[in-house]
Amino acid sequence: MATITPAPVRTIRRPSNYENAAWRWMRYSAFLLIPLAWGHVLLQDIIVGVHNMDINYVAMRWANIGWRIYDILLLAFAFAHGVNGLRQVLFDYISTSTTRRTLSRVLFAFWLVISLIGAIAIFGGVRMD
Amino acid sequence: MSSLKTTVTGYAGYRGREGQLSFLLHRFTGLGTLLFLAIHILDTATVYFIPSLYDHAIALYQSTLFGIGELALVFCVIFHGVNGLRIAYLDMFRPKDWEIRRQRSGVRATLAISMVLWLPAAFIMLRNLAIHNFGMFGG
Repeated sequence: MATITPAPVRTIRRPSNYENAAWRWMRYSAFLLIPLAWGHVLLQDIIVGVHNMDINYVAMRWANIGWRIYDILLLAFAFAHGVNGLRQVLFDYISTSTTRRTLSRVLFAFWLVISLIGAIAIFGGVRMD
Repeated sequence: MSSLKTTVTGYAGYRGREGQLSFLLHRFTGLGTLLFLAIHILDTATVYFIPSLYDHAIALYQSTLFGIGELALVFCVIFHGVNGLRIAYLDMFRPKDWEIRRQRSGVRATLAISMVLWLPAAFIMLRNLAIHNFGMFGG
């Protein structure tokens, strides 16, 4: 077996810029997403199950303000975490700063539109016909 | 921009073992969850925008094909979370453990913990599928 040299641990000074904030966002939103996303999966997929869901279930759940706050938090943290993750993945394949800037703007618009649609629905609630 | 072919052959040919596996899994589970999340925000939003559409969307999720996708999705969410916790723990408390041998056992432990969390969930979801989609267990 080949010998393995342990990687040296280096210390660097962190510049406080947008990318630094984005990195911290990923880490801190991740901690919140552990209870939020896992709780959501546990409740909806395991305990309730997709076969016991319909629009009345959503109406019943959203009748409770606590669940609406939960869903708003989940929407805010999960989707921004995911889109920024996608941005980081795509940056691995894009090296020019102009393309990176354009991509960031496109992804920001994508994030904003979908988040707004989701937020309007949570605030607006279920509209029964 | 590197071509897709370079990326795929690079990922497939690079023999980075556990560390690379964990990198790839973190990426794919994250991207997979994001893909579903974007669709899921929109389908849930129909309760406000087009309420008559919501039960159709749910009917689709209740199909066997999506049921299998749901199993994969739950694995993605579990693995991405456990692996993310491992990464954060090492960064914050054990930076000296960012070292290949420790990585290998860490990745194995992460996979084991993910499986332990996922298997009971998968069992319950498969049971629901068997009951509702195949009429088994008195469904």
